[in-house]
Amino acid sequence: MTTVGIVANPAAGRDIRRLVAGASVSGHAEKAGMVFRVLAGLGAAGVTRALMMPAPGGLSATLHRQLRAHAAGQGHEAAPAALEELPMRLDGTAADSIRAVEAMRRAGAAAIVVLGGDGTHRVVAKACADVPVCALSTGTNNVFPELREATVAGLATGLVATGRGGPGALRRDAALRVEVDCAEPDLALVDVAASREPFIGARALWRPGGISDLLVTFANPAAVGLSAVAGMVSPLERGGGRGLHVRLAEAPEAAAITVQVPLAPGLVVPVGVAAWRALATGEQVDLPAAGGSLALDGEREIERRPGARATVRLVAGPLTIDVDAVMRHAATKGLTRLPPRV
Amino acid sequence: MPATAPPGTGQLTREQLLEGYRVMRTIREFEERLHVEFATGEIPGFVHLYAGEEAIAAGVCAHLGADDYVASTHRGHGHAIAKGCDVKAMMAEIYGKQTGLCHGKGGSMHIADLDKGMLGANGIVGGGPPLACGVGLTARVKNTDQVAVSFTGDGGSNQGTFLESLNLASAWHLPCVFVVENNGYAESTPPAYHQSGVDVAKRADGFGFPGVVVDGFDFFAVHEAAGEAIARARAGGGPSLLECKTLRYYGHFEGDQQTYRGAGEVEEVRRTRDCLATFVQRVTNAGILDAEDLERVDQDVRGLIDEAVTEAKAGPDPTPAEVETDVYVTY
Repeated sequence: MTTVGIVANPAAGRDIRRLVAGASVSGHAEKAGMVFRVLAGLGAAGVTRALMMPAPGGLSATLHRQLRAHAAGQGHEAAPAALEELPMRLDGTAADSIRAVEAMRRAGAAAIVVLGGDGTHRVVAKACADVPVCALSTGTNNVFPELREATVAGLATGLVATGRGGPGALRRDAALRVEVDCAEPDLALVDVAASREPFIGARALWRPGGISDLLVTFANPAAVGLSAVAGMVSPLERGGGRGLHVRLAEAPEAAAITVQVPLAPGLVVPVGVAAWRALATGEQVDLPAAGGSLALDGEREIERRPGARATVRLVAGPLTIDVDAVMRHAATKGLTRLPPRV
Repeated sequence: MPATAPPGTGQLTREQLLEGYRVMRTIREFEERLHVEFATGEIPGFVHLYAGEEAIAAGVCAHLGADDYVASTHRGHGHAIAKGCDVKAMMAEIYGKQTGLCHGKGGSMHIADLDKGMLGANGIVGGGPPLACGVGLTARVKNTDQVAVSFTGDGGSNQGTFLESLNLASAWHLPCVFVVENNGYAESTPPAYHQSGVDVAKRADGFGFPGVVVDGFDFFAVHEAAGEAIARARAGGGPSLLECKTLRYYGHFEGDQQTYRGAGEVEEVRRTRDCLATFVQRVTNAGILDAEDLERVDQDVRGLIDEAVTEAKAGPDPTPAEVETDVYVTY
């Protein structure tokens, strides 16, 4: 029996960017549809059991309606993987996802499919160790997870889980390890931004003002969000073992260059950059001790008192499934072909 | 740490922080005192206390002027205080006194002050949103930049009036902000039993305007999101929905036995998430306000509430001759 875990964050996609920018919304019906499509893909690839973090009311009801409707259908399609909800209490916070991922690892999950934004993936990465992650975005607002069709993602994850992913199936992504004073270290998968804003407010970061330093694990100029600033000045491939440290200009006059950056969907703003340099794996950066807040993967998370020591180190991150590479390998090797009819 | 925020960050000034704290502390002191005084049997009618939810009223109303409107709920003391209603006249009103804000005719559930844009606490669950649409339409027809905010609970958000108001506000492009105070219980029923989905904010999707969720214990989160929603409405951007996740510290009404709560639920939240305690910790950590600044506010507020209760108790009752005054309106 092959088991795959599924984490679908029911709370993803409700932050202030819907108000201040044009960020997309992803309702329960769409998330339930995505889980159903993942199950279909997993089932077709031979995964028999899917362990899911329990979904609250609306998502769960919609998903089970879809599964019942499918069971009563034509029957010529592959059966979806059997869905099993983890027996766990939910408290409606990120800790739910951590506990769910730990339970999936204990249950021997061969891979974990994550549906959510950068924030959800960040939380999963803290707990998944070396269980491969299939990162699926539930909106247009994200950098780490991909916006792609969930059925195919399910197929690719199923091939990896059943040992047929091929040599290029997994990518070792990087992460940024953040330590502030003696607090428990935290992790970011895409970027860490140090802001002079003392308070974290509504969490999602959508204003460039007050940001002094930006550290990224990769720099894609086609991304949306802060990491696109790095992408615009010095593009950097994902999984290449190098990051980037960008210093933003405090005032427009101090900018070496000013780039137009989509900081959120529908929100393109000028950002002044003072300097940038490459960051090697293992290298540590000490952030200015002036106080302020730190944003991890676009969410303001940590308030620093003036004088607090804050360091960021580029480290190895999660193993991520490269869906395109897996599907290319499957096609080349004929893994998706059914036996000839006799 | 500079006392003023860096430009372009939308951060609060020292004065704004002190005012936010004063409003939250006043509401807390007002409600905690009512909790004690109601038990003596001296207060007529029902009271529904807002304690625990202060960051929402304070964070939202910080962006409103006297000519903007709020339409409140049966749990309306906090909204009235944050909107600038006279605290002593509010207390006298709750005691049913002639000196009250509505001359003792309204009581806790109908406190109103139209001069302050406070359209009233409201005994009808889901009664506020249609009022917000009404004043929103007035603002739009008169081409002013006024904004109308309605407060609704999680229970109220299931009422037809709420959903009809979302529809009208969208169809008529009204400058309305629908604030949902999701305090975990519709009287005694948790949302899992009466709502499909975890977020009331998602209901805005169906009407084509933004709905966002913030932590209702976090003054800074509410303040930032409400500021954007209100600025959007003021600029002609139409309605939006702001769902604030919170918990009330007392029963649905005073006297509620609260058998529906989990063990230690309120104590845990008071210990870890209380809006006043976290505010104090964060502003002092950041070095923007110090303990003395906040203690001065505490002292002023304690004095104000003491005086309000003493004066309310000593105030005159309305006379039988006044039974019809302030009750009927002739246009």
